[in-house]
Amino acid sequence: MIGLTSVKEEQEYRILRETAAAYATRELAPQAEELDLESESWRLREVLSKAGKMGLLAALIPEDYGGGGLDTYALCVALEEIGAEEAGVAATLLVHNAAMLPAAIGEFEGLITGVEPDYYPACLAYPGEVSLSGGKLEGVVPFSFNIPDSPLIILLPGGGAGTEAVTVRGDADGVEIEPEPYQMGLRACRAGSLRLRDVEPSNVIEGGGMVEAVERLLFLGLASIATGISRNSLEKAYAYAGERYQAGKIIIEHQAIRLMLAEMVAGIEENRAVISRACYEDSLVPAMSAWLKATRNAHQTVLDGVQIHGGYGYMRDYDMERLMRDAKYCQMYPRTSQEVLLDILELSEKG
Amino acid sequence: MLRREISECGRRLLADFPVLRTLREHDRKGVDGMIKIVEGCEEYNRRVALPRALELDQHMEREPDYFDWEIMREGCKYHIFSLAIPEVVGGQASSYMVTGLALAVEELCSACGGIGLALAAHSLGVSPVIASGAMAHWDTVLHEIVEEERKGNPVVMAYAITEPSAGTDVEEPEFLEVARIGMEAKRVKGGYILNGRKCFISGGSEAKYITVCAATDRSRPLETWTTFLVDRDMEGYSCPRVESKMGQRACHAAELLFEDVFVPDSHVLGYEGDGIANGILIIMAASRGPVGSIATGIARGAYEHFLAWARTARNGKRPVDESRICMALADMRAMIQENRGLYLGHSLAGDALFRRAFTHPLFKSAFLIPRAIRASRPYAGFLNSYYGKTVVNALFRYFIKDEDATDMLAKASLAKFSCADNAMELTSQALELMGTCDSEERRWVEKSYRDAKLTQIYEGTNQLNRIAFYNVEIGKTLSIQVPGPLKKGVR
Repeated sequence: MIGLTSVKEEQEYRILRETAAAYATRELAPQAEELDLESESWRLREVLSKAGKMGLLAALIPEDYGGGGLDTYALCVALEEIGAEEAGVAATLLVHNAAMLPAAIGEFEGLITGVEPDYYPACLAYPGEVSLSGGKLEGVVPFSFNIPDSPLIILLPGGGAGTEAVTVRGDADGVEIEPEPYQMGLRACRAGSLRLRDVEPSNVIEGGGMVEAVERLLFLGLASIATGISRNSLEKAYAYAGERYQAGKIIIEHQAIRLMLAEMVAGIEENRAVISRACYEDSLVPAMSAWLKATRNAHQTVLDGVQIHGGYGYMRDYDMERLMRDAKYCQMYPRTSQEVLLDILELSEKG
Repeated sequence: MLRREISECGRRLLADFPVLRTLREHDRKGVDGMIKIVEGCEEYNRRVALPRALELDQHMEREPDYFDWEIMREGCKYHIFSLAIPEVVGGQASSYMVTGLALAVEELCSACGGIGLALAAHSLGVSPVIASGAMAHWDTVLHEIVEEERKGNPVVMAYAITEPSAGTDVEEPEFLEVARIGMEAKRVKGGYILNGRKCFISGGSEAKYITVCAATDRSRPLETWTTFLVDRDMEGYSCPRVESKMGQRACHAAELLFEDVFVPDSHVLGYEGDGIANGILIIMAASRGPVGSIATGIARGAYEHFLAWARTARNGKRPVDESRICMALADMRAMIQENRGLYLGHSLAGDALFRRAFTHPLFKSAFLIPRAIRASRPYAGFLNSYYGKTVVNALFRYFIKDEDATDMLAKASLAKFSCADNAMELTSQALELMGTCDSEERRWVEKSYRDAKLTQIYEGTNQLNRIAFYNVEIGKTLSIQVPGPLKKGVR
């Protein structure tokens, strides 16, 4: 076992961390391969309903409205722990909560009572080119998570004075959903594309700053999931390196391997530092920076994790290749790293 | 003499590899021969690999046991199974055997790393038969491959080195000495009994002939390492399972089980105990370079799909209109060119070594004897006898100089780890720039990304390749010694 420095947290976070870790070990770890390979919706709904009991299906919605009443950091803590076992399920929860965020901001009654099966996993169809004019939705969302399974789609259309978020039923007229034919990573969280033709929104949620809030949450959530993946990779690689004999010694005694493992530890420490700092800032730049750093670290961590496992790392049985595919996807959504970098500068220039 | 028209593919090749232009001025026939091979591979890609690569990859994720024999049968039309087989026995290998193979492998892997591997692993399987100078099998096994290829039946070979508890260790003499080897070949009357397990053998489940490395004394692997030629039909040989791989799926990684497999003396390649030189170092020296070509092919495939994506407009904007994308494309091209330089450096060095043998009158004269005699029992008996092996061994030592083989190993290791790292970097970068876009090109690049990772692992991990490169080139602590003269009594 490799022991990471434990995070000094207030009691509520610590308890949540433990609960989420227990949930992940009990519910997700035994069926991680099925969740990745088969990802049928009944399986996903089953694990999600159990996450709902911890308040993770309406995590950011105030308790008065029947939500979990968590803050961003708390959700990130839970996502890190869940991501450490099955990143796809963690991503589903993240996207679901990001989809519910406009309702929390806009204090929209119709949604926030909704942790009923009818509502999850909610899909946040973002980013895309959607417009709302004359009460009708038009446009395309080329790639988004939770789409094929979702009963409820939340969109953030441009234009429309004051209106920022709209909801659409997954089975509404004019909604065309195309499941992604081949998704490399985060596969429990099924992706697809969405086309809207003359669709009437079922609800319109008014409020301000929703796009920024949703983006911030996506960045921080993905950064946390990436950190979870890094931890999983470190634990597996460390355990394997302690068993495998090669070139005259147990491979953990080779400097090349020790350096890789050390980078993993340093990367996780770094991730936790940037994420916890960014969680207490409302602005986007720290969240974007945390995402950039954490997903980069995670990507290097899993590549090295597979490398330490050698041929075994490349095979499904050792479960390392799943981490590699998942970590790459954390780095590819919601936008590309260069686009985010350019945004970081633009936002910083505005001050 | 009619001047052969240069095809589109040939022109691209001469533009991408300026060194070939220079070579062509001196040896038009040799270079045009390579161009012809690559043209064949390009047509194969267009007709066979590209239309099915994505679908096959996705299918084999769900059904890893499936194997698409059609990709192999189609390969026969382009003589892909005889690329490493010398011309004297009807194959394609001439004075540019290694380079021709390297270029062909890049071309094949640019369409699909898995299909490319399925075809290239066969040549790896063939190589010990050639490099050990086991000419008794040239006119039987290699001839069968060539003949069957002509009829459209692929006869596949595989090379089995890796064991469950020894991967990196069995690829390098320094580590072999301390390796935990499970496989053993026990000396019995008239041959050897093989017992043990090999794993991750590319193409092992499809192979009719398998070249297998094993120690005849597990406590002294370094001195007793020997290469055997095993026929699939030999009693006790089986292939219990294939792996579920992340990428390069079209080619199986098989587990091979040897339970009291009797291998007659005639099926020892080279002789007992020369496996280090013949079975590891020379093969690694010859085969790590082509892994560099595999990596380069995968990287090129990713680059081409990325370029197609970058040129496609979405909402009236093309990614390639942004300077950052143009610069990334320039970086990718640079990595590909860098790789080509490295693997060509290796393959041209390899050809310099093999050409000396293949074009030598002494060597050629051995094949003036009619094939009917060469393939006959008494002739094979002579070649397998002490005197026969002494003659072959003397020829070997005459043609192949220690320092040339050592140099080739250094270049091979360098090409392998640099090309593989570049391929991983390129495919990673391409995906990072594309993001989760809804595009068929993204799915191709995702496949390349998964395919690329394996190139950092097989033929010795990249870490081992670095150590080997250091030992040979910088530390000067490792060199290849071509097997010495036979001692009386050695089989």
